[in-house]
Amino acid sequence: MQLSKKKVAGLLSAATCSLLGSAAQADENPWDVDSAILYYSETDRVMAIEPVISATKDLGDDASVSMKLVLDSLTGASASGAVPSTMVQTFTTPSGNSSYQVNPNETPLDDTFLDTRLSYSMNWETPIDRNNRRNLGFNVSKEYDFFSLSGNALWDHDSNQKNTTYSYGINVELDAIDPVGGAPRPLTAMLAQDKTSGTESRDIVDLLFGVTQVINRSSLFQVNLSLSEASGYMTDPYKFVSVVDVTGEPTSQLFESRPDSRSRQSLFGKYKKMFSNKDIFTISYRYMTDDWGIDSNTFDFSYRFNMKEGYFIEPHLRLYDQSAADFYRYFLTDSEPLPQYASADYRLGEMEATTVGVKFGREIAEQHVWSARLEQYVQNGDGSPDVAFGQLTQQDLYPDVDALILQFNYSFKW
Amino acid sequence: MASPCEVLVECDRAAQARELIAIAQREAERIEHKFSRYRDDNIVHQINSGGERISVDEETSRLLDFAQNCYDLSDGCFDITSGILRHAWRFGNGARIPGQRDIDRLLPRIGWEKVIWKKPELTVPQGMEIDFGGIGKEYAVDSALGLLARETDYSVMVNFGGDCSASGPLADGAPWMTGIEDPRRPGDATAVIQLKGGALATSGDVFKYIEQGGVRYGHILNPRTGWPNTESPLSVTVAAATCTEAGILSTLAMLQGQDAEPFLERQGVRYWCYR
Repeated sequence: MQLSKKKVAGLLSAATCSLLGSAAQADENPWDVDSAILYYSETDRVMAIEPVISATKDLGDDASVSMKLVLDSLTGASASGAVPSTMVQTFTTPSGNSSYQVNPNETPLDDTFLDTRLSYSMNWETPIDRNNRRNLGFNVSKEYDFFSLSGNALWDHDSNQKNTTYSYGINVELDAIDPVGGAPRPLTAMLAQDKTSGTESRDIVDLLFGVTQVINRSSLFQVNLSLSEASGYMTDPYKFVSVVDVTGEPTSQLFESRPDSRSRQSLFGKYKKMFSNKDIFTISYRYMTDDWGIDSNTFDFSYRFNMKEGYFIEPHLRLYDQSAADFYRYFLTDSEPLPQYASADYRLGEMEATTVGVKFGREIAEQHVWSARLEQYVQNGDGSPDVAFGQLTQQDLYPDVDALILQFNYSFKW
Repeated sequence: MASPCEVLVECDRAAQARELIAIAQREAERIEHKFSRYRDDNIVHQINSGGERISVDEETSRLLDFAQNCYDLSDGCFDITSGILRHAWRFGNGARIPGQRDIDRLLPRIGWEKVIWKKPELTVPQGMEIDFGGIGKEYAVDSALGLLARETDYSVMVNFGGDCSASGPLADGAPWMTGIEDPRRPGDATAVIQLKGGALATSGDVFKYIEQGGVRYGHILNPRTGWPNTESPLSVTVAAATCTEAGILSTLAMLQGQDAEPFLERQGVRYWCYR
């Protein structure tokens, strides 16, 4: 039919409606807000409550701005590094002004542990051209005895018709540490309280190189290589190493000592697959090694089952193991000369950790989701190492950490 | 927009009026910046720079969907790939009527059906171009008015180079008064249109034509032939719910030549044709 005889106004009206109708929505560009509260509780140890709020706003033309605010409040106690004894032990608090006692055969804890951390970060992502994006950001973090400032830049380059993305990133972090009561001189006795006042500092540079490859419409593979160089004050000013006599009884507690530099390399691989029913399987592996002698492996699996009406359930398993730092010592003996470095911090020891959990939630609409996550974290090391002797053979030199993690999450448009 | 633009706000606070006008101006500039063919830093330039598959954003997707709909419903009379006919046709300074051979060389490089559009990816074959010039100004009017309507309850009129749209009647219920220029007597409004809401768009340009041997060649070209319809009215103004619809209908009417009026009658819209 000739156009002049055709009635096109109705079709045109419908077409205009879809042109302008959704324009109204797109222009509004609401904030995508993600709010969460995390509750973390170790049996007889640390408890943390961490509210997090993050928000991203699409600025149009593939540009976006995002920000994140985290408040962390920790209470409770963590192992101080000192070995248990058959006798009552007395420890001086970091300020040097008071002391506390640890009962016989109990793991010495620093039970004045209490801290609040506030951290804020902001990032801008902007396209450079259609195959390149840049992301610039910063992070500020403040604790009672710690201040950290970092800046980061990431460049994403798409190639192969956006099926391959190369990422190049750098993060520079400057930390200022003001230990309560001053920074102890390494491997000096707790009783001497030989501390330097003033601020200690540390700087960390991280480099990242990543490749994300879309394999097909439903799966992708990602590999990241990261290099990290830290230098400065790396010691934990509140941790001790016990010096024991021939019976294995501690005779003194020394402040720990760590090298003032650390180089870390890590390789991370992730595979993600979405099935035709929209279920998502994710598996990842990370290998990390550093010049302190810690090598670690992390395996992570999750599977998201989608159910009716937007409900989903997602089991999660994470397996972690690490070797001990070269200078990790359960204790020192009074017959040996003092080493240059020594730490009994359990986080530097040989260990395995397992996280098992499940997330349950509902996607009410796009960007409107609630979920709850419950996980158990169990960390084991060797509590009866071959190096133990005397009374130490009767003690648990590497107590397990057993924690419960509960998180509620709510995402919405604002 | 390469033409005078005005925004009228019925409001008793100058600061607020200025704020609203600034919103409209920013929106007009944003759309012009993003979709102008005359820039080399926007999505249109990317799309036109040579045969590659380009992934486009949501707004560009909607415009491409719209262009495709218009192409379909007009049997190809509206085609955003027809802009390259400017290589043959020159209006204004150095105006000339091209030879058929000039046009024939260009026609193979025109035709929306040769474009691969599968949202959100677009491939425009090498040598072809797209141009949102045929809908950009009207879209900017609608989009700016949409933004203003969300900002304020005041009555607002957006007029970009004669294509205009009003958010509603004035506070006392009176309509906005809009004059239409008689192309035979430029500068003189011959008809006054009362607009209580809705939009007007005009096709046909008093100055953009070539007259040769008593035949008037207008600048609205048929994408399928490469020629204007020499029987077209001098100008067609259409009233519709949105400026975009009014603009497409007035352009299609121009291409109908002698049949412009029957075509518009059939569409059931108010129109003003000058011959």
